Amino acid sequence: MRAFFIIFLKELRAFFLSPLAWTVMALFTFLNAWLFASMINAMQMRVSSRSLIYNFFDSGWFWMGFFILFPLITMRLFAEEKKMGTIEGLLTAPVRTSEVLLGKYFAAVVVFLVIVAPMYFFFPLFQAVTGEKAAFHGGAMLGAGLGIALVGIFNVAIGTLASALTSNQLIAAMLTFVFAMLHYFLGFLHNFGVVPGSVWTGGMTYFSTTEHMHALTSGLIDSGPVIYYASFSILLLAITYHVLESRKWRV
Amino acid sequence: MIEVKDLTKRYAGRTAVDAISFAVEKGEVVGFLGPNGAGKSTTIRMLTCFLSASEGTAKVAGYDIYDDSIKVRQHIGYMPENVPLYPDMRVSEYLNFRARIKGLRYREAKRAVSEVMDICSLAEVERKMITTLSKGYKQRVGLADALVNEPDLLIFDEPTNGLDPNQIRQARELIKRLGDRHTILISTHILSEVEVTCGRVVIIDQGKIKASDSPQNLIRHLRKPSEILLEMSGDAESAEKELLKLDGVNHVRRLDDRAKWTSFSITTDPNVDVREDVAALIRGENWKIRELASRAASLEDAFVDLVQEKRGETEERKVRGQ
Repeated sequence: MRAFFIIFLKELRAFFLSPLAWTVMALFTFLNAWLFASMINAMQMRVSSRSLIYNFFDSGWFWMGFFILFPLITMRLFAEEKKMGTIEGLLTAPVRTSEVLLGKYFAAVVVFLVIVAPMYFFFPLFQAVTGEKAAFHGGAMLGAGLGIALVGIFNVAIGTLASALTSNQLIAAMLTFVFAMLHYFLGFLHNFGVVPGSVWTGGMTYFSTTEHMHALTSGLIDSGPVIYYASFSILLLAITYHVLESRKWRV
Repeated sequence: MIEVKDLTKRYAGRTAVDAISFAVEKGEVVGFLGPNGAGKSTTIRMLTCFLSASEGTAKVAGYDIYDDSIKVRQHIGYMPENVPLYPDMRVSEYLNFRARIKGLRYREAKRAVSEVMDICSLAEVERKMITTLSKGYKQRVGLADALVNEPDLLIFDEPTNGLDPNQIRQARELIKRLGDRHTILISTHILSEVEVTCGRVVIIDQGKIKASDSPQNLIRHLRKPSEILLEMSGDAESAEKELLKLDGVNHVRRLDDRAKWTSFSITTDPNVDVREDVAALIRGENWKIRELASRAASLEDAFVDLVQEKRGETEERKVRGQ
């Protein structure tokens, strides 16, 4: 536990003492602010039956920017240590591999949450400035926050695994991006279901980030996505653990 | 302190370390010697629990490297090859992180860091980024890192790799001083280093242990013809003939003629010293003598002798070149 916190804090320092985190945060916030403003303009021109928060998180533009975040946050976690050789010093110190892994993982999750936090405050800010009380309700805010956090822990886990697989940060970043995207688009497959409401369609909906967000941003907190993202994150971390340990016996 | 028994590491189609056994007692400074690719780093990585053994066991400070890996690592201060460090940390920051991760509490870590910075003379670079340090300083940061949790056993993998002669000398002095209080295992392919710092040498080649003894003993047991150098003036032709007649002399080679001085290399049977006979011969003929020296066999000769038994000429030259 002690080593976990030391590594967690060291990783956080490394993130926030480098310009990368701040640059990414500024760009991400800027892009989303732009998207937010466009969304309000669009809703002014055309009446929408959905809330602002629903439309915002339904937009493909949001997710494009969103998925670029994960490679940037996670690519260096293990790939950099492998490249520089510092992994040897780290893992020959009296620490458990799981402590190293979780320390790095949770540091990346916190970095992710800090980077997306400003975006989350667009909504209450908009409400405070315009006094548009009916724009959305508290449940939708909570649901959206939870949804972003869930998608975050899942994709950071993908990135952590990708980073443990290679010593090349660029390859780690590409892998993360591709897998995060694949997973996202997997969620659209159910649209191609032959018979609406069939087992196929229902099954594919279970993987759909957009469907999850539809429910969550309507203020409906379903245990389904929570269990889905949490269990897959744990699975991905377990695989990462074994990837890290595999150096010992790989021939 | 270290007990290695039949330790084996197999990679696909290649046995990097082949059932080696050796022991290091408390307080010893042992050189782990071998050509590149002999299995030194692999063995060390198994001892430090970075890699698992395919077969065999090893105990460090009484703990099994497989069953008590954390305990083993608590007792080892390890400096990996090429001294990997985090370039974007300050020296004191890095050492503090390493101290903390090795289990020291906040206050202990602070004290330990200032202590090792003292030992390794790092005070003047305390606040510098590691990336801006010279190779010599980085090496010392690595040493300080290995020392910071006051381990019983220090393991250095090629500690003087890439240093300039001055820095090598400083690093050796430091290691020698550490040898008073720690058990040390140094892996290296630089022979002179071992001769200076180590009380015992374990020579490994192609995954097998070739010898384990003190450097002096290794040299003494060297079954190699001795060589004597002679520089003289006089009748070189007849001198060559006369020298060959001496007892125990096998071969005489004329090296060069400079003005009236001629150099010879005289090869004799092992452990035979013909210097007095040579001197007497030259005195008898009234020739002049300027140099008469026996070329002492060095650890390098012992090493080349042990490692090269079954290898071809080209490889021998490669190892000599190092």
